[in-house]
Amino acid sequence: MAAQASDRPTFPVTASDLELLRCFEPVVYYTQGEQFFPTDVEHYVRDCSLWEHYPDGHDELLVKQGELDLDKLVESRPAAFGSVRYLRFVEPLSLAETAQVLAAQARLRRRLRNYFHAGIGRLARGGFLPRLADGLFSLSFLLRGKVSAATAAAAELDYNEALKEDPKYVYYGRVARQNGWTILQYWFFFSFNSWRSGFHGVNDHESDWEMVNVYLYEQDGQLVPEWVGYASHDFKGDDLRRRWDDRGELDLEDGHPVVNAGAGSHASYFRRGEYQAEVTLPLPGWVSGPMRSWNKFWTETLGQPAANPFRIPFVDYARGDGLAIGPGKAATWSPAMIEETTPWVSRYRGLWGLFARDPISGENAPAGPMYNRDGSPRGAWYDPLGFAGLDKVPPPPKALTLLDHNCKKVIHRQEELEKLIPEKADELQALGVRLKGMEGNPHLAKQHAALEKAINQLAEEVKGLRRERSENSALLQGLTQQLGRVKAGGQDDPRAHIRHLAEPVRGDRTFRNEHAAETWAAISLSLMLFAIAALVFFPVRFTWAGLAIIIILFVVADSVLRGAFIQTIGQITLILAMLATLILLFHFGKWILAAGLVIMGISLMVQRLRELTG
Amino acid sequence: MAKRRKSYRRKSPIAVTVIAAAIVVLFLIRLYQVFEPLFRQQVFKDGISGPLTAGLRLTPLGSALLSSITYLVLSAAGIVVLIGFLRLRRWSWVLLMAWTGVSLVISLMAYFYSHPNYAVMASDVIIAFALNITEVQRIFKIRSGNGGPSF
Repeated sequence: MAAQASDRPTFPVTASDLELLRCFEPVVYYTQGEQFFPTDVEHYVRDCSLWEHYPDGHDELLVKQGELDLDKLVESRPAAFGSVRYLRFVEPLSLAETAQVLAAQARLRRRLRNYFHAGIGRLARGGFLPRLADGLFSLSFLLRGKVSAATAAAAELDYNEALKEDPKYVYYGRVARQNGWTILQYWFFFSFNSWRSGFHGVNDHESDWEMVNVYLYEQDGQLVPEWVGYASHDFKGDDLRRRWDDRGELDLEDGHPVVNAGAGSHASYFRRGEYQAEVTLPLPGWVSGPMRSWNKFWTETLGQPAANPFRIPFVDYARGDGLAIGPGKAATWSPAMIEETTPWVSRYRGLWGLFARDPISGENAPAGPMYNRDGSPRGAWYDPLGFAGLDKVPPPPKALTLLDHNCKKVIHRQEELEKLIPEKADELQALGVRLKGMEGNPHLAKQHAALEKAINQLAEEVKGLRRERSENSALLQGLTQQLGRVKAGGQDDPRAHIRHLAEPVRGDRTFRNEHAAETWAAISLSLMLFAIAALVFFPVRFTWAGLAIIIILFVVADSVLRGAFIQTIGQITLILAMLATLILLFHFGKWILAAGLVIMGISLMVQRLRELTG
Repeated sequence: MAKRRKSYRRKSPIAVTVIAAAIVVLFLIRLYQVFEPLFRQQVFKDGISGPLTAGLRLTPLGSALLSSITYLVLSAAGIVVLIGFLRLRRWSWVLLMAWTGVSLVISLMAYFYSHPNYAVMASDVIIAFALNITEVQRIFKIRSGNGGPSF
């Protein structure tokens, strides 16, 4: 066993898949106030009805609630192109039922004492313009399909009933073997994602699938953990994985990786804390193109910090102060194995919850572990290595062989070059002498031109070979150093592969006027709308100026509370100055051009006269 | 031979001189704007001889007085800012930027609704862009090199 792996838990390769999964199963910490925990699909499906949404907009009930089970779910049912098959966990509610479930939800939370306190809200963390965009985002739900608050409440009640009947927490385990790696996949199914309704997040949807991967390699008949990859918002590839020995990023409890789940979103994080997630409003090309150019000018030319007013800040609370599930905890896992032959995994390509007809999909339920919402295969399933950027990384024992092989290959090529370069260089010199001999003989002009061409080609070749030798020398140095390091049992920086590190925002961060900032964040947008409404009573010709002044005043007031006054006042003045510049250019373009040329002329003249006079 | 004493005084960038010059220009223009309406209303000759308001509206005399007072405040602020600016005080950068912002709002309002003053507008533009120069901001300890979006 390699030295660096000596302090890691290992497991014999002969162990069964279930034993392997149990050996490395994670400990998941949830946030206080979380309403849904990993559950089993069988019970969930029994509580659902099955539907088909057709391209013409109508929906057809395929199997009624109470009649559906996993066998019926996977029955073959031909469907037209463009149709969407989906489950429905909560049936449509009447007005009276809506009131009943909302009241019952409040009673349940009181009974369980399961409350969530946001602390410094996301709106106070962001600026005024993102808050304005957030208002637009909220209004967009009037046009987009969404999951109602009553649906979320009914789902919470149903889930709690199910948990009371059968109190178990389930993960679906899968073991995949690719390119020398053994990958343990832990899939978690939730009956609802309540990020928006429960935790001021981006979306709600029926059902939720989350996943954690543990990557093992084989050495001396033992499987050794090397990497862990968690599914998370806003990150992909290399940024999703951490090395087993990276103690600053990956916590272990008795050899089990620790996961901190986002409240309501269930996204997985390595460290406890509150993560700022951002959602960018989908903009048409004619807006986003000029926006990009403006941002480039704003940041590169004017040196201002990048700002996108169409990016809305949301907070994913992964505080880890709620229920903990895993080995050694009060709540433990009930594992279930899945693979491609598991019928509900491979033969049901539909959504696992309500199809809310949301065109940007945030409120539509996800598909199963093996598929995307459109029924295409899910990358995390068929390419678990690529999911965490490990497709290019060999397991450590193989890395040594590959490094050695690479070194030998480069050394061999260097030896070849050492022979080849002098030969070619001699040949080039001989041709050069011949070319020189042709000079002064007009009758050899044709041959001279041909030889000159050949010489140029050969010179390029020799130059290329010398460059290759030089580059190979640097490469060999790097490879040799790496080889020495690996042989000595040393490892690279465990975070060298990470480009964007998910970092929690400072939990202890406070504003000077925290309460005022919070209150202002809550009411400022409405106050601004009231002020704009008052503009109606002023003469029409002052409307635009009034609107601009109101927005400026609100932005400045906001910046004072958030301690960003200096930066904000600078940026506002800069924008006004740009507007004034356009006006001046429009009226005095000719004069400005002439003045610019005169100044340049004087400057050049001064420089030249200085040169002249020494 | 006497050795020339080496000067350790920090050299200000040219932008600081340009800004100071622009402040002086603005001060003179604003000073003219303080007296111009008073001369127009012959206040120095006749004193405040009429009512300043008629109901909720200002009379021409009231309007002239308000205008003079506004420009007097701006001129006085200009003097304070100029002194602080030449002494490279941080607060003067902030005050000047705010002052320029207010002045630009007034200039743009004047452009869209009454008689524009292009000289003021041009001076404001020069000051705003000059204050935004990284070197100037470093001298006044405004920019530390990083910073997030502020809106």
